[in-house]
Amino acid sequence: MESQNACRPGAFGPGIKLLAVAATLLIVWGLKRHYSDARADDLWWILTPTAHLVSVVTGATFTFQSGEGYFARDRLFLIEKSCAGINFMIAAFGMSVFALFHRVWSVTSAARVLGVSLLASYLAAVAVNTARIALAMWLAAHPATLPAFNAADVHRLEGIVVYFGSLVLLYELVQRLDRRGCEVAR
Amino acid sequence: MNRIPRTNVLRVFRRTALPLLSYYAVTVALPLANGAAQSGAVFTEHALVVLIVPPVVIVFACAVHTIARGIWAIERT
Repeated sequence: MESQNACRPGAFGPGIKLLAVAATLLIVWGLKRHYSDARADDLWWILTPTAHLVSVVTGATFTFQSGEGYFARDRLFLIEKSCAGINFMIAAFGMSVFALFHRVWSVTSAARVLGVSLLASYLAAVAVNTARIALAMWLAAHPATLPAFNAADVHRLEGIVVYFGSLVLLYELVQRLDRRGCEVAR
Repeated sequence: MNRIPRTNVLRVFRRTALPLLSYYAVTVALPLANGAAQSGAVFTEHALVVLIVPPVVIVFACAVHTIARGIWAIERT
């Protein structure tokens, strides 16, 4: 029954959509609040899988240091609070909810859209942060001699390109899966 | 000379509008709402870079795509 209505626009009217928007804003606010209050130790749920994946990709050995984050002594590289990618996760979550918003027509479907978006944004944040940190470590080991940019500029540009590019890729992926879901439902 | 068709660039901008808005919301709007503007020149510089780089990346990607397609079309003929 629900799968037949999955792509039907707004059968329950604006009430449930307003509830979904409110829940989305609440989750965004909660994430932002948690991020601003948290120490590196409190962000274990995103820093730990990221550090493990970076270890696999780069071969560096990261050890947890309380209050600081994950440190690779051999590379002198610290994965700290600002590397957690919570802002990327918030952007990815809001974007995914918006992209799947036409699927919200009941409390169950709203919960499903929010849940899928939260899971997708978390997985994307871990994967994208891994790529960003691995690239940053590579750039640190191979410093380019560009007269117009210093190391901080290169790091900033790398962050913008990786995060924005990843948002575009995630959006394309969500739209493709969404279209496929609608075709299957028909 | 191979020029990037303007319609292609506009189409890509339309297609990437939501990721672009999400990115701007998190990197500029949220910090502004939290009072980041009080830090003055530091935030202004950050906001300028963050606002300008993504559109430049889009245009650059369109240019690369157009050139790659051009080379591919020449190789096929």
